[in-house]
Amino acid sequence: MNVAAVESWIEAPLRRYVDDARARIAVLLHPSGQVMAQAGFTRDVDVMAACALAAAAHATAGELGRRLDGRAFRGLHYAGAVHQLFLSALEIPRGTFVCLTVFDDTSSLGLVRLYFDELRRDLIAASPAAAAPRPAPALAADFETELNRNLAALFSGPRGEAVIS
Amino acid sequence: MRSRLRGAVERLSRQRGVRASLIVSENDGLVVDSSLRFGEGEDSERVAALAASIYRKARLSADAAHLGAVSFLQLDADRGRLCAVGRDDLVLVVVAEPSANVGLIRVELFKALETLA
Amino acid sequence: MADEIRRWSDELAREPNSLVFLQLAEALRGQGQLAVALKIAQRGLDRHPGNADARVLVDRIATEQDAERASQQALAALAEASQLEATSKSAASRLFADLLMDDGQTALLLDDNGYVLGGLYLDGEGVDVGQDVGAQLSGISDEIVRSTRHLGLGDWRSLTFETEAAVVAMSPTPHQGLVVVAASRSTPLGLLRRLLDRCVTRSSAWLKGGEALGEAAPETDGRRGVLP
Repeated sequence: MNVAAVESWIEAPLRRYVDDARARIAVLLHPSGQVMAQAGFTRDVDVMAACALAAAAHATAGELGRRLDGRAFRGLHYAGAVHQLFLSALEIPRGTFVCLTVFDDTSSLGLVRLYFDELRRDLIAASPAAAAPRPAPALAADFETELNRNLAALFSGPRGEAVIS
Repeated sequence: MRSRLRGAVERLSRQRGVRASLIVSENDGLVVDSSLRFGEGEDSERVAALAASIYRKARLSADAAHLGAVSFLQLDADRGRLCAVGRDDLVLVVVAEPSANVGLIRVELFKALETLA
Repeated sequence: MADEIRRWSDELAREPNSLVFLQLAEALRGQGQLAVALKIAQRGLDRHPGNADARVLVDRIATEQDAERASQQALAALAEASQLEATSKSAASRLFADLLMDDGQTALLLDDNGYVLGGLYLDGEGVDVGQDVGAQLSGISDEIVRSTRHLGLGDWRSLTFETEAAVVAMSPTPHQGLVVVAASRSTPLGLLRRLLDRCVTRSSAWLKGGEALGEAAPETDGRRGVLP
């Protein structure tokens, strides 16, 4: 499976996660919707859509949780006819990320949650020491620039050129 | 239903050598009910997800090989054994010591399965 | 053409020095009778040593005869190799035959790709379905390896499960293989596990010894397992 990360320390933990959890696709993003890493996607437009929707779902679920429970919900699970979706936040020293995982009947929610916990531990272990948390982009212009740069990094060709469809 | 499930789990956990007994949803790999021996350190969610995965894989493989439905399953490893029986979407799982009497555990598992029917 | 061959043959018999040997040898060559054609062409060349057409004809027929001989040798070698392969396959399929106690038992040795290395798995109609069954069942071992690692149970030793049609047991071998044993539902589980142990021991020795296929397979009466 194709696994690519904007920051290289993310790649190995994410690869292990999708292998163990038998995920079809996965994307790690900043809560703002900035993609940090992806697995299994072949087109950048799909990653953009997934990140935007995941960020929105995460924000909505978080607010619902705070209104009901006083704190954000831990994770979301949607079960479709063929595919299922698990969406949850990851708190690590580098900051908060959101992980969207899509799986089918070769895996299960239990397995995905089990290996999601391991992903969090692996990311904590792999993250560069003493690095400042990534600041969230404040301006819309910065967001678009960063998004395009991240997508280019994830989908660059063998010579480093951008291969954006 | 809940009391029947709890009763089944507790009877299984009283067998000698049993470290954990669980009722698991095969589809989701999630715990329905569980009983863990104090201090054994078993993680019920972990056991549930992985045991359900093994049982499901065995069931699908046996079906594809035209062997029919799986009833009892026993996995032996260096540091323990895992036994499981299933019906519909529920799987009864026992994790036991290597020295546990599996024959007896098997009988109790089938008895417990009947109470869930 | 047959009439012309007869006519040329009669003329050559009447007139041994006749140049009709050229047409006759060529016609026989065209019909594939290379040995006879070469003999006639060579005799004609002996009588007419300066005849360039005769020399060319002799060379052409000799070359074709060599090519045909080489082709026949290659076919013979292929047939021999096929026979050897069949013998080897037969020996590998009998790997566990002496360990199986009745026709309701069957055993397979699989490699880490799920391919059959030895043993047989016959369905109710006597067809060997070992490859298909082996591939399906070998997928379980990947799941087990992953799970036992995360459960902290250590290395797995065996998996046994009961199905509607059979009882099945499998175990990894030291050389990344997998032994699968199946028996009818009436087989006691304890007996099945003993059988599994023996098959694993046999497989380990067979793999470790690197016995060539076809050598040293146990002699049996050809009994093999057939599941109901």
